Amino acid sequence: MAQAIFIILSLITLGCALVVVTNRNLFHSALYLAFVFVGVAGLYFMLQAEFFAGIQVLIYVGAILTLIIFAIMLSRDLMNPNVRGFNRQWWAAAIVAGLLFVVLAVVLWRAPWPAAPVGEPSADFIAELGQALVSPAYVLPFEVVSILLLAALVGSILIARER
Amino acid sequence: MNIADVQIVSILPQTLLLAAALVVFLADLVWKDRKGIGLLALAGVLATFVATVVMLAGPGVPTFQHMAAADRFALVISLVMSAAAVLAVLVSLDYIVRVDLPAGEYYGLLLLAASGMMFLGAATHLMTLFLSLEILSIALYALAGIRTTDIRAGEAALKYFLLGAFASAFLLYGMALLYGATGTTSLAGIAAAVPSVQTDPMLIAGLALLLIGFAFKVAAVPFHMWTPDVYQGAPSSVTAFMSVGAKAAGFAALVRVLVAVFPTLYAWWVWPVGVLAVLTMTWGNLAALAQGNVKRMLAYSSIAHAGYILVGVAAGEAGVSGVLFYLMAYALMNIGAFAVLIALERAEEDAAGVELERMRGLFHRRPWLAAAMTVFMFSLAGMPPLAGFFGKLYVFSAAVRSGLLVLAIIGVINSVISAYYYLRVVARMALAAPAEEAEPARCPALTIGTGIAAVGTVLLGIYPTWLLNLVQGTLAVLFGG
Repeated sequence: MAQAIFIILSLITLGCALVVVTNRNLFHSALYLAFVFVGVAGLYFMLQAEFFAGIQVLIYVGAILTLIIFAIMLSRDLMNPNVRGFNRQWWAAAIVAGLLFVVLAVVLWRAPWPAAPVGEPSADFIAELGQALVSPAYVLPFEVVSILLLAALVGSILIARER
Repeated sequence: MNIADVQIVSILPQTLLLAAALVVFLADLVWKDRKGIGLLALAGVLATFVATVVMLAGPGVPTFQHMAAADRFALVISLVMSAAAVLAVLVSLDYIVRVDLPAGEYYGLLLLAASGMMFLGAATHLMTLFLSLEILSIALYALAGIRTTDIRAGEAALKYFLLGAFASAFLLYGMALLYGATGTTSLAGIAAAVPSVQTDPMLIAGLALLLIGFAFKVAAVPFHMWTPDVYQGAPSSVTAFMSVGAKAAGFAALVRVLVAVFPTLYAWWVWPVGVLAVLTMTWGNLAALAQGNVKRMLAYSSIAHAGYILVGVAAGEAGVSGVLFYLMAYALMNIGAFAVLIALERAEEDAAGVELERMRGLFHRRPWLAAAMTVFMFSLAGMPPLAGFFGKLYVFSAAVRSGLLVLAIIGVINSVISAYYYLRVVARMALAAPAEEAEPARCPALTIGTGIAAVGTVLLGIYPTWLLNLVQGTLAVLFGG
């Protein structure tokens, strides 16, 4: 049963991802991207990472995809289906990407995958996650992320504002 | 949580820079004096420089919760960064008024980028490593495109952003595989796990992807395609800072990962790094030969220098001190060379950088400026007794000690080739001056910046020992106590 759901979710994710990169209409690509994100969220859900599944939907579908769609609609000529999505070097890119895929697939296939001891996820998982974020162990990356956001905010306003 | 567990002093230089960045952002809201804001930024980077020197002189500082080290290696990188930031701010003071750039955003992002670079040099955890790399990258993407009216700057920023994001994806994939193979994201933890998993294909693949990601960031051939356009399109002061800072930070992280975490896999990574070094040196120098634009020539020259530094990286443990010395020398001479270009650059006609012809007769018009440029060019070419010579000497001799004689020989041949295009600039300056040339910009800060860089380049060449003592033996404490 779980196996079947996993296969269906993976097929939806991969199929939609393929449409995202091959579709001529960028807007349609963005919509298919939503299915990709939801498919990945489903995979998280199957791994009992419900919190991450929720976050995935909230952030990727709720925020990032909305942003992408806004960007597409506000940019001139991006919705034009006559703009070609490929250039003359697409076959070279395909070969390199294909090779990389084969190498990584072989690597992952042959990897021993050291399994961590499987414990029952703690009931207070989210509370623990929140405390870990501001605990001394992780407080530095937590603060550094805010610097990253500041740099991104200032940078994007700088580039986008009207002079 | 126990606040006493947090050793804020371990990240003091980075924190000072962040504080300065925030002050600059806030001051910009109420204060429209661009020079004044620049002086605020200058105070911030000078304080950081002093703090770093004090920390280097003082007793060791513990690692920040396995996230960021304040070991000698990290502090020397901080020293290089703060020196580069001081010079970058000095050469910007007049320049950003001349080319009309927004001061608050400019200096604020520059300081944020510098703090990201320092965090990268100190990172001992994949999480801090990635985040700090993103801080410096995002700040530099925006700085590259800060001249929003110039289409070339827009192209530079977009190209930098797209390829940079691509490189980040490689890095992240590599990190994910490293985590999969070792079950930890702390560098010390990975280092401890490497002997037991040894040549697990997942570990090797992770390492390879990480190497590709870093190769993009330090502009190694064949991952260098973005470099010439970005370095040419960005404002000269930004190019000066990022060609030095981003490179030093990328190499710092690369050295820490390769040398400290994967010493047992040396036989696996020495060949890819060596091949990258040969390609990078050779291609960078050959392409620089053909350039008629000095700014673009310096972009290719910066690729070539990444190649020389890669020779030191390939030397493994023996090369660490040479790499650190080289980064310091490169910071001084490269920012210095850009400072001279900034003095010559005129806002309208030189948006794409100063042409070689414009150097003609500089010796007759501004002898001191030309003398400084001569020092930088000789040092970049690796002539004794300047800083660039000792940088090359140390990385090449480290390569010989590690049995990589071929790499050292190719490096020396490349230095000889590079002398041609560096000396061509000097020769052009010595020719008779055209009559109608306008006077290069005079600005005290720019003069001071150029002067410091020139004096530093000469002093590092005459007394290389003080820096050498500083960078020697940093590896023993690569993870901090």
